[in-house]
Amino acid sequence: MFKAIVSAATLTSALDSVSVLVDECKIHLEEEGLSIRAVDPANVGMVDLTLDAAAFESYEADGGLIGVDLSRLEDIAGMAESGQLIQLELDEETRKLHIQIDGLEYTLALIDPDSIRQEPDIPDLDLPARVVLEGKDVNRSVKAADMVSDHIALGVNDAEEFFYVNAEGDTDDVHLELTQDDLIDLQVGPAHSLFSLDYLKDMNKAIPGDTEVTLDLGEEFPIKLYFGFAEGQGQVTYMLAPRIQSD
Amino acid sequence: MGNAALRDIAVIEDVPFADIEGVVAVDAHNWLYRYLTTTVKWTSSEKYTTDDGTEVANLIGIIQGLPRFFEHDIVPVMVFDGGPSELKADEIADRREQREVYKAQLERAREEGDTVAIAQLESRTQRLTPTIQETSRELLELLDVPVVEAPAEGEAQAAHMVKRGDADYVGSEDYDALLFGAPYTLRQLTSKGDPELMDLEATLTTHDLTLEQLIDAAILIGTDFNEGIRGIGPKTALSEIAEHGDLWSVLEARGEHIEHGDRVRQLFRDPNVTDEYEFETTLEPDLEAARKYVVDEWGVDAGEVERGFERIEASVVQTGLDSWT
Repeated sequence: MFKAIVSAATLTSALDSVSVLVDECKIHLEEEGLSIRAVDPANVGMVDLTLDAAAFESYEADGGLIGVDLSRLEDIAGMAESGQLIQLELDEETRKLHIQIDGLEYTLALIDPDSIRQEPDIPDLDLPARVVLEGKDVNRSVKAADMVSDHIALGVNDAEEFFYVNAEGDTDDVHLELTQDDLIDLQVGPAHSLFSLDYLKDMNKAIPGDTEVTLDLGEEFPIKLYFGFAEGQGQVTYMLAPRIQSD
Repeated sequence: MGNAALRDIAVIEDVPFADIEGVVAVDAHNWLYRYLTTTVKWTSSEKYTTDDGTEVANLIGIIQGLPRFFEHDIVPVMVFDGGPSELKADEIADRREQREVYKAQLERAREEGDTVAIAQLESRTQRLTPTIQETSRELLELLDVPVVEAPAEGEAQAAHMVKRGDADYVGSEDYDALLFGAPYTLRQLTSKGDPELMDLEATLTTHDLTLEQLIDAAILIGTDFNEGIRGIGPKTALSEIAEHGDLWSVLEARGEHIEHGDRVRQLFRDPNVTDEYEFETTLEPDLEAARKYVVDEWGVDAGEVERGFERIEASVVQTGLDSWT
């Protein structure tokens, strides 16, 4: 059983943060809210999302599992204005999702969850450095790095206590340093890793500019990047595997 | 090559690249041949021959084909066909010389009307030119892709490596991989979509057959090494084997004969393979040297291979999250 009413903005944020990595996903419809975990086909980027029941106008579920084509569902959600409410109801018999937006009824055929790639195990990461910053700082770092290179180095200087961003291109370079004062919080530790901008750009798309974003970093370790949405009642955690430094 | 009628018997399912892990022992001739006949066909011929007309399409094929393995953390091991069964691979130093030997043997086989030997030898002399043989190996070496020289059929050697647990899948378009006892065979590794996984155990269970019976059924239908019995397709072959038990009883019951049936059977049951091979699964391609080899030395248009090289480069420096689980 699954029946819920949610604002279009909340649903869209949730779907967008997953669709940057995968086309299809499994959605767990738990009593306390819904959750999605997915990894891209190359096993480089992972998303782990929860959306609490409290984020919905109304929410009833009893632990079902559905498979959805994300772009389909996003297209339908896109039919609503951001303030509008979307009503979702699962028909267990036909395995279809009935979606209603202000009188518009859409019946979405679901995908067999078994046909969707297995949900990944969450890597066991012990990351020594933590950086908490505003979404817009992540955004401008990624944007600037993308102008010169296809990868970006993120690190923490634990002696001088600052977080830095480096991108080196064939001709041009980008560098940014943010100290304790520029950041919301900084826990220093040895951290320096290189990441593919292809992935980070996609993840960045899902980060609202006015949101507090936490980055957990290590030395040549995956990054854990997480933030809340839907007034803190939703949480997105991305994990991204590093590139090996060639030099 | 191989018998497509086996498709009706084999248990085959599509499997996404992302679900494939480990080492694939690729029938190198078969794999390269696909690129020579299909992929490169769509490119204009100046792009894959040098100024003096030497064919270098294999180099483009290798650079276009390898990223699919690398991007999914699959290690390809290229298994090349070796000498005819009577000869040991290490007795032949020079590949050109080897080809001459094949040719001579082929002529002799034709004179003697030895159809099994003709089929075996033809497949090796005609599929890849000496230049292609040589340049493919050299490029693979620069890219640190392991190469294994089979004593005879590459496919049989690949199957043997999977049986021994040194590889996880045979990579071949050829349905005969089943007959060589390959537990898992990946087909369509060169196509755009998902590969197909051919499962030996499931095939035998589905038809309630032993591997020996499957081989006998295939011989009735026809293999690379023998003509089948006219009028026997997959269905009949299975029901005949089920009824009579083995090849000889079926032939006797129908009053038919298969030339060299015993040799063909032996070729599949006990192929000439070797345990003497070793390879590493951590690959460290020298991309700069490989680029030079392909573009400068063999004059391939850089644009033809740039995308492939970029994909290889990206995939070898990008780690996967599974390294941390």
